[in-house]
Amino acid sequence: MGTFLVFLAGILFLGGIIFIKPRAKQDLKWKTILNWVLYVLWFAITGTGISFIYINSSVGHVKATSTAIFLFLGLSIVLAIVLARFLGFIGKKRNQQNTNLEA
Amino acid sequence: MFRSSDHENSQKGFQMDRRKFLKAGVASALTAGMVGAMNVLPAEAAEAVKNTAGPQTGAKSKLHPVVDYGGSSVSFVEHNDQWLGTTKIVGTIKPYHEADQGFYMANRGKYSPEAQQGFYHYKFVMKHPFGAAIAQFAMSLMAPQMVSGQPSPQKLPIPDPEQMSQHIKDAAYFLRADEVGIGKMPEYAYYTHKAPSQDDLMKDDLSKSIPVTERLPYVIVVMIDQHLETMLASTGYDGISASQSMRSYHSTGVVAVILANYIRGLGYNARAHHFTNYASVMPPLIMAAGMGELSRTGDCTVHPRLGFRHKVAAVTTDLPLVPDKPIDFGLLDFCRVCAKCADNCPSGAITHDRDLVEYNGYLRWNSDFKKCTEFRVTNKEGSSCGSCMKVCPWNSKEKSWFHTAGTWIGSKGEASASLLKKVDDMFGYGTEQIERYKWWLEWPERYDITALKH
Repeated sequence: MGTFLVFLAGILFLGGIIFIKPRAKQDLKWKTILNWVLYVLWFAITGTGISFIYINSSVGHVKATSTAIFLFLGLSIVLAIVLARFLGFIGKKRNQQNTNLEA
Repeated sequence: MFRSSDHENSQKGFQMDRRKFLKAGVASALTAGMVGAMNVLPAEAAEAVKNTAGPQTGAKSKLHPVVDYGGSSVSFVEHNDQWLGTTKIVGTIKPYHEADQGFYMANRGKYSPEAQQGFYHYKFVMKHPFGAAIAQFAMSLMAPQMVSGQPSPQKLPIPDPEQMSQHIKDAAYFLRADEVGIGKMPEYAYYTHKAPSQDDLMKDDLSKSIPVTERLPYVIVVMIDQHLETMLASTGYDGISASQSMRSYHSTGVVAVILANYIRGLGYNARAHHFTNYASVMPPLIMAAGMGELSRTGDCTVHPRLGFRHKVAAVTTDLPLVPDKPIDFGLLDFCRVCAKCADNCPSGAITHDRDLVEYNGYLRWNSDFKKCTEFRVTNKEGSSCGSCMKVCPWNSKEKSWFHTAGTWIGSKGEASASLLKKVDDMFGYGTEQIERYKWWLEWPERYDITALKH
């Protein structure tokens, strides 16, 4: 089971790379690097959080489970939003509208 | 010869399109998955890997070749006239009378009358029927002929000390020990006298005390877990508390008695020391055998994996053995900043002091054993107490990657110990009761001994 989950995590990690690759490359190199760093960080925090929450809930550590949901998944969501914004999945349309208005 | 197409390729550089990238990714993932899934080395290779992994001194067991220290970062330290592991010896450690230890002091009436009554015939344990059932079995191991005796007149041929140590460790694991270690026996750990009967102690009459004359060079220490799930469900001082102790006391006693009997059968001297018949105090033996460090409680040791959640029995012997070295996993630094046991001790017996004090020729924390004993033998909410065991960050949880990482961090000095304690508190470990594991029955009407008629 553990081996399969590691395998699945690897597949998801690579799938994520393929998914964001077309949008990760930016005009400035540091922005490209930032995108990849954020992706790795987001994946690590999300994976760690899921594992932590699963193990703690299966044993019955109630406070640890609820704290971890708040902490890890909260961080995961915040990072995901930031990353999605950098990659242009969200917020792009409004920028275009603003540009149109200025024009 | 260089072909033009090669030249062109080298000029263009290696380009990876999405299809190639996908293929490479899937291939890498499959390879990693297959390596993980196989996870089975040829038997000889697995043996070689096992025998090289993990720190250890002394002889390696065949059944448990890798000593499980959890995530703790363990180093090996000295056992000489200045140090017993990480405990600093600053003077002469005077051996003492068994009747001067906490429970017997209560028995002698040196504490309160209620405490005296609570200890007499182990009422504080016997008041819970399950604790009584286990303790009564442990009593059957009390007789002198169970723990000691003359060795066989003919010495059987045995292998060299290293192989013999390996064999003794394997014999202990075979008998269901969780951990076993071998140490040089510290002479000061022997009692000067064994306490007389409880009836004599009630009269504070020590005239029938038996002098302890045995001096044997080695000690085999056997450790058994007090059960994780039960501890997770317990308050730390409810009806199951004494039974948890008895679980490990009786089982280590069985292992020690059998081992001592076996060694005597080989023609060497051996004496078992266990819950109902000690000739020695246990914590120095645990430290000598590389199985723990002295903790903030002042008289209890912590194991790197099991924490306080254990009891031990021992066998002193002159069988030629190779001793293990004492261990250092940073517990002194950890206890200095943690004090979670002191925060949660229902009797307030465990000190909050930062620094160690000199006591009988060595340094330790200055906890109040009178308060601890009083609470355990008169506890009206349960049977005995193990709150320090329950809350200690070293043993308050199941085995998992993050607890392993946590104890590794905690064993790296005061700053990281402080971090581990804060994380432990933040996640609520050690102070919760997980109801789903509460399997035992409670009889609260029996917990106030003074109100009991029988």
